[in-house]
Amino acid sequence: MASVQDRVIEVTARVLQLDAGDIKPENNFSADLGAESVQSIELVAMFEEEFGIEMEEDAALAVTTVGSAAEFIEGICKEQGVEV
Amino acid sequence: MSVVDTRKTHELVDTTEPNLLEDVFDYSLPPKIRFDGPLIEYIDGQPVEFDPNSAKKRDIFITDTTFRDGQQARPPYTIDQMVHLYDLLAKLGGPNGVIRQTEFFLYTKNDRETLDRCRELGHEFPECTGWIRAVKGDFRLVKEAGLKETGMLTSSSDYHIFNKLKFKSRQECMDSYCEVVDAAFEAGVRPRCHLEDVTRADWDGFVMPFVDRLMRMSEQVPEDQGVKIRICDTMGFGLHYPGAELPRSVPKMIYKLNQECGVPSDRLEWHGHNDFHRTHANGATAWLYGCDALNGTLFGFGERCGNPPVEGAIIEYISLKEDLCGIQTEVITEMAKYMRSIDFPIPENYPLVGKHFNTTRAGIHAGGLRSDERIYNIFDTTKLLNRPPRVALTDKSGADGVAHWVNEFFGLKDADRISKIKVHKVARWVMDQYEVEGRMTAISDEELEAKVQELMPEYWEKYQGKLDGV
Repeated sequence: MASVQDRVIEVTARVLQLDAGDIKPENNFSADLGAESVQSIELVAMFEEEFGIEMEEDAALAVTTVGSAAEFIEGICKEQGVEV
Repeated sequence: MSVVDTRKTHELVDTTEPNLLEDVFDYSLPPKIRFDGPLIEYIDGQPVEFDPNSAKKRDIFITDTTFRDGQQARPPYTIDQMVHLYDLLAKLGGPNGVIRQTEFFLYTKNDRETLDRCRELGHEFPECTGWIRAVKGDFRLVKEAGLKETGMLTSSSDYHIFNKLKFKSRQECMDSYCEVVDAAFEAGVRPRCHLEDVTRADWDGFVMPFVDRLMRMSEQVPEDQGVKIRICDTMGFGLHYPGAELPRSVPKMIYKLNQECGVPSDRLEWHGHNDFHRTHANGATAWLYGCDALNGTLFGFGERCGNPPVEGAIIEYISLKEDLCGIQTEVITEMAKYMRSIDFPIPENYPLVGKHFNTTRAGIHAGGLRSDERIYNIFDTTKLLNRPPRVALTDKSGADGVAHWVNEFFGLKDADRISKIKVHKVARWVMDQYEVEGRMTAISDEELEAKVQELMPEYWEKYQGKLDGV
């Protein structure tokens, strides 16, 4: 099974229409990957769908990089009893 | 000339708790109007103090001319329409008579039938009064209608005296006006002299001598019949700024009539026009300087650019008095709805009643509305006007705007409100309208409703039952 980080990169690539191979954990969604306001919301929504979790809006939108998103999602999955 | 250094040092008062100034910005009322000192006006070179707080204590009130000045600027209302609006004026002003009087033409059969039907409703307020030209023949109409008070046209500028009414002299004009005033007294009717075009008149040479004479005449009749003075800023020339000169200065006009001519405050009335966007400020200023009555029309509709809007005066009144005083503010919305139904256009950005008066378009503002409604709403418009704050969606609205719209649409409160994450599909559709489709117009409520149904079916299913109440 793909790691959380790989799945985060896949979703990010799909939403932002980028090549997954170009996305690095240290990339900032907005500054490096060009995510605009509505795309940030779409990313959170797609992460929820991908992992079957519910995220608190403000906390989720405060996450800035791909790597920290993976860490944040791992934590949420643990809290909500979702196996990853 | 010496230069005084007026600069001061201002230290930050750091805090972790917001100071929302809720004493003044009490969300349940329009923001309170407070004063922290007297108003100073130089009258004939001498400083004179006015206490603006006196307006909070005096029995200031609103008078209405929707059916007279308001009707001069549009096709006639039907009798039924006027009777309904009169009924709504009575509801709006409440039992304390904040809207104290309204005036009617008396010239046609329809005018008189309207008057009779309004009086048959039995409201104490607004009292029905008349309006006639200052000619004796017209006065018969007042007597026949059985009115206690009538306005009469007593034009005061030389533009009117000589160029319109063709009097040979000011003396002839004044004598003519006073004859009609005498006729009113004889019939036991209170005359309300409308000093037409007074902001373009010779105050020393005509206005004050005329008012002096009216006050002397009034000494011969009971107090409740004494002449009232309507100060008519016919062309909207009045200025509320301190220091402005006569004949345009609102403070000086009120002072001269009130203090020098001795017209009591409760017999002074301000009637303005909006040709220079000053009508509401001038009217409220008249209140502050000692004039008790502010004359206006519903939604400011009147000759040319209109008059002080009655609903604006109502909100000003509440702000000054810091209390609703029996006013039913929600009737303002009911009136606007009715006016639209009879083809009376109200601009979308018109204060208090326009379709978008409390609608925000910018996403960053919508975000503010979502976190605390007070950030971008003037007061509790839901409670006072039955108008919750709205968001209209454009490319600037963002997901915050979409989330606010959806929550308002479904009527969701507090924990039930849907987060912007859940509206992402609708937000994407909105953005694509502009970025992909090249749209140049705002998105209508009807379009959004259809998109919510299509893109958020689970929420549509869950909450559509609530829509019955929207």
